[in-house]
Amino acid sequence: MTTWTLIRRSLRFHARAHLGALLGAAVGSAVLVGALVVGDSVRESLRQMALARLGKVEFALASNDRLFREQLANDLAAGLLRQDDPGNAAANARTSSTVSARQIAPVLQLPGTAATSDGTARANRVQVLGVDERFWQLANQAPAFKTIPQDSVALNETLAHQLQAKVGETILLRVQKPSQLSRDAPLSQDEDASVALRLNVSAIVSDGQFGRFSLQANQIPPFNAFVPLSLLQSKTDGTNRANLLLVGTESSLPSHLDTGDRPKSQSLLTSAATLSGLTSALRASWQLADAELELRDLADGREVDLRSRRVFLDSPVEQGALNISTNGRGILTYLVNELRVRDRATPYSMVTAMGAPVVSPDMRDDEILINQWLADDLQAKPGDDLEMTYYVVGVMRKLEEKSARFRIRAILPMTGAAADRALMPDFPGLTTAENCRDWDAGFPIKTDKIREKDEKYWDEFRGTPKAFVSLGAGQTMWSNRFGNLTAVRYLLPDPISYAATNPRSLAESPDSQKSPASQREIIGSALLGKLDPASLGLSFQPARALALAASAQSQDFGGLFLGFSFFLIVAALLLMALLFQFGIEQRATEVGTLLALGFTPWQVRRLLLGEGGGLALLGGLIGVAGGVWYARAMLHGLSTIWRSAVGTSALQYHARPATLLIGAVAGVAVAWLTIWLALRKQAQQPARELLAEGGEFQTSNSGHAGRPVRFEMRSRSIKVGTLSSMAALLLIGFAALRSETAAAGLFFGAGALLLIGGLAFCSAFIGALAVAEAAGKMTLSGMGVRNATRRRTRSLATLGLLACGSFLIASIGVFRLDAVKGAEKRSSGTGGFALVGESTLPIVHDLNSAAGRDAYGLDANELAGIEFVPFRVREGEDASCLNLNRAQKPRLLGVQPDLLSQRGAFTFTQIAKGWPKENPWLLLQPREGGVVPAIGDAASIQWALGKKVGDLLPYTDERGRPFQIRIVASVANSILQGSLVMSEDQFVERFPNESGYRMFLIDAPSNKVEKARATLSRALQDVGLELTPAAQRLAAFNAVQNTYLSTFQVLGGLGLILGSIGLGVVVLRNVLERRSELALLLAVGFRPRALKWLVVSEHGALLLLGLGVGVASAFVAVLPAVLSPGAEVPFVSLGATLGAVLLSGAVWTWLATALALRGDLLKALRNE
Amino acid sequence: MPPPNSLLDLINVTKQFVSAAGLEPLTVLNGITLQIGKGESLAVIGPSGSGKSTLLQIIGTLDRPTSGQVILDGQDLSRLDEVQLAAARNGQIGFVFQAHYLLPQCSVLENVLVPTLASKEAALRHGAEDRARKLLERVGLGERLSHRPGQLSGGERQRVAVVRALINRPKLLLADEPTGALDRASAQNLAQLLVELNQEEQVTLIVVTHALELANRLQRVFELRDGTLNRSKI
Repeated sequence: MTTWTLIRRSLRFHARAHLGALLGAAVGSAVLVGALVVGDSVRESLRQMALARLGKVEFALASNDRLFREQLANDLAAGLLRQDDPGNAAANARTSSTVSARQIAPVLQLPGTAATSDGTARANRVQVLGVDERFWQLANQAPAFKTIPQDSVALNETLAHQLQAKVGETILLRVQKPSQLSRDAPLSQDEDASVALRLNVSAIVSDGQFGRFSLQANQIPPFNAFVPLSLLQSKTDGTNRANLLLVGTESSLPSHLDTGDRPKSQSLLTSAATLSGLTSALRASWQLADAELELRDLADGREVDLRSRRVFLDSPVEQGALNISTNGRGILTYLVNELRVRDRATPYSMVTAMGAPVVSPDMRDDEILINQWLADDLQAKPGDDLEMTYYVVGVMRKLEEKSARFRIRAILPMTGAAADRALMPDFPGLTTAENCRDWDAGFPIKTDKIREKDEKYWDEFRGTPKAFVSLGAGQTMWSNRFGNLTAVRYLLPDPISYAATNPRSLAESPDSQKSPASQREIIGSALLGKLDPASLGLSFQPARALALAASAQSQDFGGLFLGFSFFLIVAALLLMALLFQFGIEQRATEVGTLLALGFTPWQVRRLLLGEGGGLALLGGLIGVAGGVWYARAMLHGLSTIWRSAVGTSALQYHARPATLLIGAVAGVAVAWLTIWLALRKQAQQPARELLAEGGEFQTSNSGHAGRPVRFEMRSRSIKVGTLSSMAALLLIGFAALRSETAAAGLFFGAGALLLIGGLAFCSAFIGALAVAEAAGKMTLSGMGVRNATRRRTRSLATLGLLACGSFLIASIGVFRLDAVKGAEKRSSGTGGFALVGESTLPIVHDLNSAAGRDAYGLDANELAGIEFVPFRVREGEDASCLNLNRAQKPRLLGVQPDLLSQRGAFTFTQIAKGWPKENPWLLLQPREGGVVPAIGDAASIQWALGKKVGDLLPYTDERGRPFQIRIVASVANSILQGSLVMSEDQFVERFPNESGYRMFLIDAPSNKVEKARATLSRALQDVGLELTPAAQRLAAFNAVQNTYLSTFQVLGGLGLILGSIGLGVVVLRNVLERRSELALLLAVGFRPRALKWLVVSEHGALLLLGLGVGVASAFVAVLPAVLSPGAEVPFVSLGATLGAVLLSGAVWTWLATALALRGDLLKALRNE
Repeated sequence: MPPPNSLLDLINVTKQFVSAAGLEPLTVLNGITLQIGKGESLAVIGPSGSGKSTLLQIIGTLDRPTSGQVILDGQDLSRLDEVQLAAARNGQIGFVFQAHYLLPQCSVLENVLVPTLASKEAALRHGAEDRARKLLERVGLGERLSHRPGQLSGGERQRVAVVRALINRPKLLLADEPTGALDRASAQNLAQLLVELNQEEQVTLIVVTHALELANRLQRVFELRDGTLNRSKI
């Protein structure tokens, strides 16, 4: 005989009595396990979505607007094979590890819009992907077709659903044309920004067939339209070009077998090593054309000209080109509006800033050389003053006309280096123009100024510069963020001293240095050796690793659902403890016997705890099975009624064995702890009392017996009640004077204080009832209510559980976010703006200016009173609560801080320590070197990024240079959720090639909003402008939190219903304890029905009182929400929940009463 | 000084119960002094409500006197804390109640061994099962070791309770109305058993009883009346 034997025997013998407690433990454990499994499921679902959208892609190189050769994919693949060749020691020595042969697919990825041919359905923000068969080989499950027929398009399921399109139908795609010259750059074309394609839908591609492809981590699938690569190339002037390389995984395992469960460190190491190998292979394979550079032999064969398709040479190219040789000469050519000497003027001429051989080193920056043609036209001579007028492009393509004055130093003949038409770069709107009047220079050309002689000059000399200034002078006037040069020239032959530094050139035969073509190759090799592809945006990212990291670090739904289910778990455990305790109380004589036999109270409790532990263990194991069911139910809820919180219905059940084990262990531990708490005061009565005939556990009232104790306690309760109520009233008064944000919290506090006060008054009331003398006529109900005073602690516990539960459920609504209330105020989450606009293609003109509106055919009168705050956009991951994944690189917005500061838009919740608190938007101006300040929404910062104000976020600019973003402030619950906002200046410095604006906050008079929306949507349809009322956008963000609150209310309501079952148990217990007393009432003539009413009125009073106190307090707490216009307080569901609790409590009370009073009550008297 | 052979000494033991406020406390035991030697057997009789059970509970450390001393084997019980009292109950005192208070979930043998679970003395636990079997054999329940209390008669249950009370070799065996719930035949058998075990186990026996037949079989009989304990003339 051992202690364990006694425990086992007791468990088995009292199994029926323990059944209720077992169920309570099982429910508590099931909810706990289930909540954790929900977390597992969401995480795994996101992981599967990540794997589905990437297929077999492991690395990606996305160069956005920079187009490289499509052939680079093959060259890279060949380069990787060479690396793998064991005989190629030299190649292998360069790389830190070999990289196995992999599938590499080139893609041309462009933003666009889609619409049905009849225009009834549209989709903006469409990802148009030009692909070939190599792309589909990276799918987990390749579609039936190998390639898409020409003039056809394959849609993914999401886009097909949006357009209601089927195979065989025709749709219209409008695709952004990549511009050689950024549309923000000087002299860039105004028109021809997009191209329309009318295509036949040839297939609908499922998610598994790569339809969901995207490099952005988001559970919401994108709109994808797949077209033949060659078609998209030809239509967008990108023949044989691509801007995305996808590199497949080493193995060809389908994703469902690829668990990705490599040890994290190994996975990262492998990924890093492979990335290094890929980067090496890229450096070995790339060519100048991939950097959009080309070297041209000039006509005289003595010079090589380096120029770019992008017109201006990027800063890294300029530095590299000038560093590889002392022979390199920078050239900057510009189109000026006018050259004037006295009263004579020549319009629209090319002017070149350069050095030798045309401009001598001693020429000053205020001097100018003019060619003979210009001298004749202006009748100018050396020494004359010349005025040059030209445009520079400012913010939002604002043209600013500037002028500079020079002194004519000399006149050059129209021969030799000064008559070189190749000095003009290939300006897109100029080079191919037949005549001057056809020029598209990105600014208005006054054609009436163009004379016949100017046309003749163009015919004969094309873009030959008419004047020359020093390079310094030119760069002072015309440098812009896109570059300071339009070309670099190298004089040949030249003993290339840099050749030794370029291994590629070492492979050349020494004799090859002699021919110009070879010289060109050497220069090209040297330049490629000098340039880092990453500095031009050509770098591989570990797409797969990043995607898996984003899903692994996603929103913790396990913790979230534990929070939601908290009250349900507490109710289950309380019920378990209650039932277990009742079971123990029925074994009073057994406990007394053990004490009499020499067991200490602690030893007795240990035995009971052992029994409780056995119950908890069994309950935990049952709970695992129940948890699976609970998790599935929750996932079903998330996919249906709570879908607003997750934005997807693709959540699948998944449970890790470890999670089930942890959940079970936690459930057992929590249940056991609860039982321990319940048993703390057991076995404290003397054995003789427990063994006395009819002995029972008595609740200790501690202290003195009789009236003095009750009076003290009543007095204390009244004091507490009065103080709490007064404090609540004070808070309400104070709250009425405060702002909305603060008032909500104060009202909640007032409600909580009222709850405490209400419970205290109830306690005093019960105490008073216990000692009150009967006054006047006694009724059955009165007797019943008075009976509630007998087991004061038990009554108060039941009342408290019901009050607290109903308060919590009803008042949590105060935290519901209301997007409509005060939406017009600057301090609200809308910033006071009426509309939010997002365009697919960039809008380069200033919509606040007449010229800008005119450029888009907008009527100035229609838009009177409408003002735009434009934002530049650097695409990244959505860092809002709508994205369940952890955003690794959030979307960046660039804005002029003044535009928001002047308006006092949004409310700031926090400013970083040490930063000034006045004019928070001006904090976007940089203070720390190399660190860019940014402002974000508080929810985005905390939940989506996992950061706080003051933290740093590493980022990489367009040139592959790392920099840091510091979060300097946060705004409250705003439409800026999902992005980080920086100053426009900092934005263009880091991302100069992000042209135009793609997001707008729009002010509009309230009576013009809808009209403005319609007008703008129509006029800017081609750029895919989508306008949403700001309040509606905010409501979409708010829907997530509000859905969470609804979930809490529903699950809390279930907990409350469970609590009402507890009330039934209390009824049963109370009645069973008093059977003999009730039998006596029966014996003196009370009818059975009257007895039932007596019991029901006792416990019904507790039920009504508990719910009443809770609901009344909650009403105060939610008063702001109730009074708020447009607030969506869920009266129906709340009423239904509380009604269900009341009904459940009433039903259980009645059932317990009937159960307890059944049978021959009078037998109890005879046993006495 | 108690005599050398004295096992139990009650010195001026008084027990009062506090009634409702404002009323005099009820004195149930009034200055009781008694010495009981080792191996002695003694009965306490008296009318209902005279305090016999209270006296036994005080002796058995289930209650504390309002004043006075209870010295068990030279140890003043009033100086012991609850843990020490429990140890005394477990190791030195055996109690038999009117109701057997057997644990319904345990077998006969297991019920007898329950007190050994509370003991910290390894010596007591060692060999307890053999002792239990022998005692049960002795009381005629050798064939019922695995039976549950529900399968036994009233008399058999009470015999099990007696064996349970003796399992830890107590010095003092207290029985409170041990035959009160039994039929005549069973009561006689039990009475005989108690007397025999008193002699065989050399355990001091104090019995509270209404049954004069049982009382007369013991060495001394005391009557408790009006709070005082006097030698009975029966």
